[in-house]
Amino acid sequence: MAFTSPEFLILVLAALLAYYLLPKRVQWVILLLASCAFYLAGGIGAMVYLLYTTVTTYIAGRWLGALNQKRQGSQAGAKLKRRKKAIVAVTAAANFGLLFMVKYWDATAQAMDNLTGLALPRLDLLLPLGLSFYMFQSMGYVIDCYRGKYPPQRNIAKYALFVSFFPQMVQGPISRFNQLGPQLTQPHPFCADQVKYGIQLAMWGYLKKLVIADRAAVVVNTVFQTPENYGGAMTAIAVGFYCVQLYCDFSGGIDITRGVAQLFGIDLAENFRRPVFAVSLTDYWRRWHITLGSWMKDYVFYPISLSKPFARLGKFTRRRIGGRLGKIIPTSLATFLVYFIIGIWHGANFRYIAFGLWNGVLITGALLLAGPFVRLRTRLHIAENSKWLHGFRLVRTMLLVFIGRYITRAPRLLVALDMLYTTVASPCLYQLRDGTLLRLGLQATDLAVIAVGVAAVLVVEFLQERGMQVRKSLEKRNPFLQWLCILLPLLILLFLGILRDAAISSEFIYKQF
Amino acid sequence: MKHSMSSKGWLLAFAGTVLLLVLLIMGFNFWTDPFGAFGDRFFQWWSYDETMNPRVAKLSYLEQNHEQYDSYVIGASHSSSYPTEALNTYFDAKFYNLIMYGADMKDVELTSQYVIEHYTVKNLVVSVYIHNAETYDTEANPLTYNLHYKVDGSSPLLFYAKYLLADPRIGLEKLQRSRTDPYLQQSYRVFDPETGAYDKSSRDVEPIGDLSAYLARAEYAAFTDYPTASTSIAYLEQCMESLARIKQMCQEAGVNLVVVCPPMYYAHLAQYSPQDQAAFYNALAEVTDYWDFTLSSVSYDPRYFYDTTHFRNCVGEMLLAKMFDDTSVYAPADLGRYVAQGQTPGQPQAEVPDVADYTASVPILVYHNLAETGEGSDTMSVERFTQHMAALQEAGYASVTFDDLRRYVEQGTPLPEKPVVITFDDGYESNYTLAYPILQQYNMKATFFVIGVSVGKDTYKDTGQPILPHFSLEQAQEMVASGLITIQSHGYDIHQAAGLEEGPVRQGILPLEGETEEDYIRYLRQDCQKMDELLGYTPGILAYPGGNATELSEVILSEMGIWCTLTIVEKNNTIIQGMPQSLRQLGRYYMKESITAGDLIYLLAG
Amino acid sequence: MNDREKLMKILTETCPGVDFDKETALIDGGILESLDIVTIVAEIMDVFSVELNVDDLLPEHFNSVDAMLQLIESRR
Repeated sequence: MAFTSPEFLILVLAALLAYYLLPKRVQWVILLLASCAFYLAGGIGAMVYLLYTTVTTYIAGRWLGALNQKRQGSQAGAKLKRRKKAIVAVTAAANFGLLFMVKYWDATAQAMDNLTGLALPRLDLLLPLGLSFYMFQSMGYVIDCYRGKYPPQRNIAKYALFVSFFPQMVQGPISRFNQLGPQLTQPHPFCADQVKYGIQLAMWGYLKKLVIADRAAVVVNTVFQTPENYGGAMTAIAVGFYCVQLYCDFSGGIDITRGVAQLFGIDLAENFRRPVFAVSLTDYWRRWHITLGSWMKDYVFYPISLSKPFARLGKFTRRRIGGRLGKIIPTSLATFLVYFIIGIWHGANFRYIAFGLWNGVLITGALLLAGPFVRLRTRLHIAENSKWLHGFRLVRTMLLVFIGRYITRAPRLLVALDMLYTTVASPCLYQLRDGTLLRLGLQATDLAVIAVGVAAVLVVEFLQERGMQVRKSLEKRNPFLQWLCILLPLLILLFLGILRDAAISSEFIYKQF
Repeated sequence: MKHSMSSKGWLLAFAGTVLLLVLLIMGFNFWTDPFGAFGDRFFQWWSYDETMNPRVAKLSYLEQNHEQYDSYVIGASHSSSYPTEALNTYFDAKFYNLIMYGADMKDVELTSQYVIEHYTVKNLVVSVYIHNAETYDTEANPLTYNLHYKVDGSSPLLFYAKYLLADPRIGLEKLQRSRTDPYLQQSYRVFDPETGAYDKSSRDVEPIGDLSAYLARAEYAAFTDYPTASTSIAYLEQCMESLARIKQMCQEAGVNLVVVCPPMYYAHLAQYSPQDQAAFYNALAEVTDYWDFTLSSVSYDPRYFYDTTHFRNCVGEMLLAKMFDDTSVYAPADLGRYVAQGQTPGQPQAEVPDVADYTASVPILVYHNLAETGEGSDTMSVERFTQHMAALQEAGYASVTFDDLRRYVEQGTPLPEKPVVITFDDGYESNYTLAYPILQQYNMKATFFVIGVSVGKDTYKDTGQPILPHFSLEQAQEMVASGLITIQSHGYDIHQAAGLEEGPVRQGILPLEGETEEDYIRYLRQDCQKMDELLGYTPGILAYPGGNATELSEVILSEMGIWCTLTIVEKNNTIIQGMPQSLRQLGRYYMKESITAGDLIYLLAG
Repeated sequence: MNDREKLMKILTETCPGVDFDKETALIDGGILESLDIVTIVAEIMDVFSVELNVDDLLPEHFNSVDAMLQLIESRR
């Protein structure tokens, strides 16, 4: 069930009515029912995966909780720790193993076949909606239980709601149990402010998604379908459009998710913090898909960095290499691993691995070269807080992200490299003037809509970056203006978003004979 | 003025605005009703609605108008080509054509059921072909291909909600179209609302003659490279079960059920394996008696088809005549077989016909003024004309009239081996004084095309400037009485001369610059009526002054009774039996003094 | 060198330019990043011969020098 489908709106509306009209103590049940309805719309098969993850992680959580209760003598403590570790390991294997089989097995088998000439069997499983999101979320819960951060949820239905809360099923955010769990089950009286902000946030998301992203997608699809038809300049433009599409689609979707959750009085974690204003690739990853990054930090990066082998490696590098370099080699290695995993997380394809490497190499490189950079800056007499330096960093980060996007969007890694090469080697600037831009499936008005839309998003994000609360400041305006801020977005959504596809034209229905 | 809005106020404003927008859309969709779901109360533009969704709009139309009808044709798009007028005559009934493009047997069954249960039905003609066994119960698009809720028993609430909340741009398109709707059939309105059949007013006067010229046209290119398709009659059983239920219904309700298999182009039928073909027709014979027109000599000539899958109305005329044993209408001997229930007819069979058996090559000559001595291009010497006639006679050419051609086309009456049509344009007095005696001498039939305003005149219309003299009505009547000469139309006043005309000059039959379509059509109709009044009968043939013919002029003229039109394109004509369109925009050889008798015979020999 | 001096050495070497004496919201204020934390923790484990694990990586343990010293003390 897509956010943009009428069914979704009907589901939300029906759930909302029940949520605020029925007694408060059944509110969480309504959310669970709505989540089931949402998920069942995608087929009963997908439900099996969801139940599997819910049940395995629920049991693991309860078990870990029980073990945490036990008194810990030093001898027994070590044994207990081993058991707890085993529980986490088994649960992780059971879940990530499944994720691997569903998402990666066929691609892996393909690669293995190519290498070894074997013919490994294919599973051809359908990737259920949001599998990796809810799996990460519930594994985070298991690990937190292991660490004793909070007692486990005893009510499996309530726990199932945490795993399956419907607004975040499609694309996250990946929530933490201690943040989301209690919110889901506590009573929420109707709060007009919350509902208002929820609607506004969701509308903003819909605008980004339907008006900007879906339009930009047309150009992207056209160019990437037959990249060989386009010179470097057009290729670069298409990648630019892809950046716009990806950001507006993803952040728009998250806005809808968070907006809808807010309708129910539930605050979900932020997943984007204006990544356009990132000053470095590290900063970018702290602003883009925040919950994934933070999940990786807490459940991959820290454990790896503080693991025994890494501690030994650290000791070794500090003694043998010394200095700053010696200190940060293990950290850099862990960082590199994390980005590598993030790359693979995106999908089963070499280009995602390459994407992970691209980020990993750049970020690790920046870490290792931080010292020389500082010395260079001092020698050039550039102040750390110089505006020019800030601007340079913004542009540099954008450029690095931009290049990375070639890799994720091209159908294959080699095509991406080829397109990158074309961009530099044969820009074919004439294509900018000969109307090629208008033959990519969009009309001039559509391009104008995208331009205005992107400008609007940038202005709003710039104001937010400066600390302004855009919606709050709107509240102080006169009612007519506020009403315009309801009417205009609705009209834009209706005419430039929903009614964007060609209407059924009678001329297409009937072929003259 | 209050300078803030509470959150509750905001929510109310939001809900109100959303509601307002939804109501506006619903109101707009109700008003424009592009699918005819609400009975199209404000536009009553059924032709448009039925094009958008024939299933829904035709039912809405019938809900309002079913008293006018007592019989129905039903089936997919080919069912349109059973001409309503002929059906009405043969069945002595009032037919409505319920064709629904892309209809499968489920659509046919449910719609038949509704019609039988709710309206007066005497006859039900079901057109079913092998393609019906390929799909069952499909709905390509929920707005344009679905049935009316009254027919398929679905929820009226969802039905109305769907059309109330449909994309308003569809209604907007209807609104825009209605503002600029031209006279001729348009792709956005393809139905004739009265009969329910496709409006073929343009297609049925489109000139068709020589086969290679026909295939050279872009719209018929598909015949030369006929599309291949993999077919499977997977739904044969469902299709036949539906048909059996329809038969049952008809028996119970006392409805005369006629099942017809429409003619198919042979290559279309060949997309189905011989086994599948046999299976289909045998299965059909298990359920019911039927007329099978699937394969005949007609199937091998693409000219009998609108496109690769739809036979023409003129073929429909032939097959109805066959069904009712009407020998006054031409139909090939192998057209149609009657299969009685219980027979095993097997795969349809037909032999590839010899095209010469049903087509004739007919040259037409056009003369103008005669004089004792030839001068200029339009004037031929008596001597030359006499030589022409003598040469024709000697070479064995027999002069035929347009009525002969029409009898050939409509009734199959044979033409002489070497037919030729002699025509004279403009109606000069010399036609009477000089040509007529020579024609009598050689016993040659000829058709004279007179300019209405110039009959009996030697001055130009109202300006009174001298022009060549034209024969009078009395002289015309004298010639007609001889049985050799026919007087036909060169237009009443569509042969205007630059320099003599006072106002703007019309180029032949074409509209004047800036003339609205409405004014132009009125002018054409009046021009025809004036001609009728002048001659005392409605001419059936018109020679276009200057040869200018347009789609619009052809449609209007055919409505005014003109069944044959002539141009001045110099070409031979292919006349086709069973195809009145082969009498439209015929070519003529322009006769002038420089053409010797030898040249003429050489020209006619091709 | 006492513990505080040793710790300050680690901190200033890892993150030059941060006023560790005064800051009390090193994590919550976004001054130290995960990379820094990990580097610092690795150093601490090495220099003070204590064992810290992921569970200890809570903001409140690293928001100030005092908090860090307290953490080290508690793990000895």
